[in-house]
Amino acid sequence: MSERIVALHTMDLTWRYASGEAMERFCAALCERRIEALQCDGCGRRYLPPRPMCGNCRLRLSRWVPVADEGTLVAWTVVHVPILDGRTGELRPAPYGMGLIRLDGADTTLNHFLAEANPARLALGLRVRAVWRPDLRGAMDDILHFEVLP
Amino acid sequence: MRQVAVIGSGQTRHARCRDDVSQAELVREAAAAALADAGLRPADVDAVLLSNMELFEGRAFPELWVGEGAFACGKPCMKIATGGTSGTSTCIAAFHQVASGMFDTVLVVGFEKHSEGHTQTGMALTDPFWDRAVASGALGNFALSISEYMAERGVTERQAALVAVKARRNAAQNPHAHLQMPELTVDEVLASRMLAHPVRLLDMCPQSDGACAIVVASGDRARRLCPRPAWVRATATRHEQPTLGDIDRRLCSMRTLRDAAHAVYAAAGITEPLAELDVAEIYEPVTYAELAWYEALGFCRDGEAGRLIEDGVTTMDGTLPVNPSGGVLSSNPVGASGVIRVAEAALQIHGRGGSRQVEGARLALATGYGVYAWADAIVLGAES
Amino acid sequence: MIREGSIHLPFAYAAGPAASRFLVSLRDEGRILGSPCPACRRVLCPARSFCPRCGDETGEPISVGPAGTVVSFTAQAGGVVFGLVRLDGADTAMLHRLLGDGMRWTIGARVRPRLAARRQASITDIEGFEPLQEPGDGT
Repeated sequence: MSERIVALHTMDLTWRYASGEAMERFCAALCERRIEALQCDGCGRRYLPPRPMCGNCRLRLSRWVPVADEGTLVAWTVVHVPILDGRTGELRPAPYGMGLIRLDGADTTLNHFLAEANPARLALGLRVRAVWRPDLRGAMDDILHFEVLP
Repeated sequence: MRQVAVIGSGQTRHARCRDDVSQAELVREAAAAALADAGLRPADVDAVLLSNMELFEGRAFPELWVGEGAFACGKPCMKIATGGTSGTSTCIAAFHQVASGMFDTVLVVGFEKHSEGHTQTGMALTDPFWDRAVASGALGNFALSISEYMAERGVTERQAALVAVKARRNAAQNPHAHLQMPELTVDEVLASRMLAHPVRLLDMCPQSDGACAIVVASGDRARRLCPRPAWVRATATRHEQPTLGDIDRRLCSMRTLRDAAHAVYAAAGITEPLAELDVAEIYEPVTYAELAWYEALGFCRDGEAGRLIEDGVTTMDGTLPVNPSGGVLSSNPVGASGVIRVAEAALQIHGRGGSRQVEGARLALATGYGVYAWADAIVLGAES
Repeated sequence: MIREGSIHLPFAYAAGPAASRFLVSLRDEGRILGSPCPACRRVLCPARSFCPRCGDETGEPISVGPAGTVVSFTAQAGGVVFGLVRLDGADTAMLHRLLGDGMRWTIGARVRPRLAARRQASITDIEGFEPLQEPGDGT
């Protein structure tokens, strides 16, 4: 085939998301280093992220319960390839540790960065604790990562 | 409901980059091949359904731009997108359209051109208030779930590597397949680059450009046009809660796929899937997922998937060949991948699988998997 | 609570053989190509590899225009005017800018393409369409 033309475009996408009531309260609590979950009156599950309804019971949620910033590592990986950061479109530097963490007082788990990126030092069941940034802004990245407790 | 069958299919050559054609031309390549396979002209098609993940290519309404490549002008035409299940969901929608009596002949075309955009975007743009700052794509999601799965079910990296070898060797018999690695060994898989512990490069599916189309017809038309129609015996599709942490042990439990499989087996009268199914085309984006699916699909009990692959039960000469096409592990144009599963399952029932034909295949399973939030299952058979 | 953000993403779209030929011909020769459909006999412009209506593969592309006729137009706030232009010898119209400050455009106006001095195989190698004659001259 003769010359192949490929058109290059860079798209700048902007957005403006509304949190809704439940997430607004959750983010406000983060500013005070507090984590809150919403509990379902039907099945009793304590949901993070908090949401207006339980997808299984189809019930509205309104019972807020406190959750610790400490928990148990239920899944982990060390990511070795740069992954696109959905906040910027830039590639996130690798390697970094990542885990699913069941915070004490919650029934769902939270995916977040781990301070530890050595596979030999990671294991299911480890206890971990949130490391908060000094300047809290009411967003999930107020937690920098989770550190493994001795 | 009326009887429905798949009577033909067509695929492009799947490759890392198909910049020799535009999106519409890629779609047309598959659509024209499927119509030729079914012995139909564009005018014989009543409606067109498309499958694509538009954010991957950053092009709004792909159905608007590529519909004409699927001969859709002047016809009903729309698109379905449910992540990796897009293709199987779209096939199921077409089955429903024909079963309901709404249309006699429907053309389904799935396509993706990963080379044109940012596949990771689709997985990175998660909940902006919850996990967008940390989300690490399909790879990160899988790697996390795999750590739970390995711990609970005792699966090893070597067993996962056996899946990689099986897929790529099967793909070598499939002229459409993207990855062609007929000589791949377990040691090579285990020596390949670590992407996200424990997932290595050769454990993961590629990103492909490609399209696949099937022709769906009502019973009367199918009998008239196709010597061995692939009859739709049962379909099921299931949705699940969205956030990664919502479901414990996602890969172990896989409620969506388990429920969907249970539903289609019940509807098709299958009680022992491993013994009764002749072939399966399952959506396995990563080696470990194939092992987890064996358990969710009832090919073995929980914890026995590693033994199943070690014993060669799912190789081409095993009891139940899984993915004679080479599977998603060998070609993954996402919007097309689910359609490919159905097309390849149908091809086996037609008896036109060529060097990847499973001798005497009469009952086939096709599945779809979409971001843990969707699962589809379809049973096709030689008997209506 | 509202959260705002933005992301920058690069894309690369393959034109395919027919559109590539259209763009290369525009860049190198300043010619505009259309594709004849063997079934409906329409000439489709810009050139493409198949007829959307008939589904048939198109034949060898031919030169169309360069003069053409405005089929419809819209003036945007800020003075930008977009029009559909059917080039002489083509049966379909193409969307582009209509050029000419203070023009009072009419449907049926005769236009010709203004080509960019430096062309790079893009549809913007045509800067827009300008009047063949000044309006009010009876065109």
